[in-house]
Amino acid sequence: MISHLVFSLSFVVVYVLQSTFFSRITLISGTPDLILLLLAAWSLQARAKYCWLWIIISGLIVSVVSAMPFYAPLIAYLGVFGLSKLIQRRVWRIPILAMFIVSFLGSLFQGLVYVLILKINGAPIGWGQSLDAVIIPMVLMNLIFILPMFAIVSDLVGRIYPLEEEV
Amino acid sequence: MKFLNPKNIQTIVLVAVIVGLLFLALSGYLTPLFNLSLNPLISLQSWLSVRYVSVRNLLASPGNITELREQNANLESQVTQLQTQLIEMEERLGEAQVCFALLDFARTNPQYDYIAATVIGREISPFLQYIIIDKGSEEGVLYGMPVVTQQGLVGRVDAVIAGAARIKLITDSTSVVNIYLQSGDIEAQLQGSLTGDLFLDMIAIGAVVEPGDVVLTSGLGGNYPPNIFVGQVLSTQNRDNALFQTASVQPIVDFKSINAVLIVKNFKAVDISPLIPEQ
Repeated sequence: MISHLVFSLSFVVVYVLQSTFFSRITLISGTPDLILLLLAAWSLQARAKYCWLWIIISGLIVSVVSAMPFYAPLIAYLGVFGLSKLIQRRVWRIPILAMFIVSFLGSLFQGLVYVLILKINGAPIGWGQSLDAVIIPMVLMNLIFILPMFAIVSDLVGRIYPLEEEV
Repeated sequence: MKFLNPKNIQTIVLVAVIVGLLFLALSGYLTPLFNLSLNPLISLQSWLSVRYVSVRNLLASPGNITELREQNANLESQVTQLQTQLIEMEERLGEAQVCFALLDFARTNPQYDYIAATVIGREISPFLQYIIIDKGSEEGVLYGMPVVTQQGLVGRVDAVIAGAARIKLITDSTSVVNIYLQSGDIEAQLQGSLTGDLFLDMIAIGAVVEPGDVVLTSGLGGNYPPNIFVGQVLSTQNRDNALFQTASVQPIVDFKSINAVLIVKNFKAVDISPLIPEQ
């Protein structure tokens, strides 16, 4: 129960920071995606339970507040979750390395999914321009925020799960 | 009956609850709940946005008193120059007023009612150019209303909830605005792009378009009122074998630092899509 409360509060804080502050920090046209980093960091915590549930809820909430088509953020976040579980089994001894891999590949996957869905919906955007102007700058900016996000999430999970076990 | 162990039952119940909630959300039954739960979020977002702008202004302002004094002296000299210009302008204004009356300029510039709103957030996906404002249906904001600033056109209302609304900027890649160039009365389409740049399309090959030409909304299509300032032509591109010319446009509004907007209240967007024949 505590973990659900902490995650929902973390999600609200990260969403507000993303929409008010981080979406104004641009590199070419790319911005960092703290929500994706939060979900990636949370999914990589071995002790965290019901991650898939929060991935779905986060995807639905972002779908409601964002102008992206309803299912796009859900697909992207489920992809990040699947990737994190896949990577976690292979490089579980070095979690920070897993976080770097998941963030890098997850950001790329999210960008490509968004471009594909926008193109299907009729937006006149090109793959090359999307890669150059948005996806690669977004991946680079995400790399800057990996360490702080992973440290915060690891610390939170380290504090709340002993409490839950006591309860 | 290994399948019906408590862990599986728990998972099935959770999935059933999520699917149920999803159906309720999609069918609109949870809209009041969404509105109720989003209001504190909007307040928090608004509070944080105001603090962010204040801190940014504080950091951006010069901290050196000597520098401030120099700036003050410069500004005073500018004021003197501007006062001189103002006297000249007032003389010209008298002449212009006569011209405006002759051309019945006022007929093409009807007075609009505005709702002022503060920008409290931006779209979280960098692929889209949207902003979030702190006024919603409670203040009379409706879907499709045009949004402007004192400088010119910003976009139109794309989604509304009780206390906030989402604005699709004209720089969005899916945005198309019908415009005309004031100099030659040339009609074209203004399109946004992924990077937020604006360009004109569908300019007739024979039309003469020069850098510096003023771009105004034409009102065609019924989405925007006519004669709202959009920007100026930067450069033109005329490729061989192309059916139309294109041109890049410098917008009058600085979309990256936009903090407040005006929503045109008494303009009703007309949906003409049923009148367009299917291809």
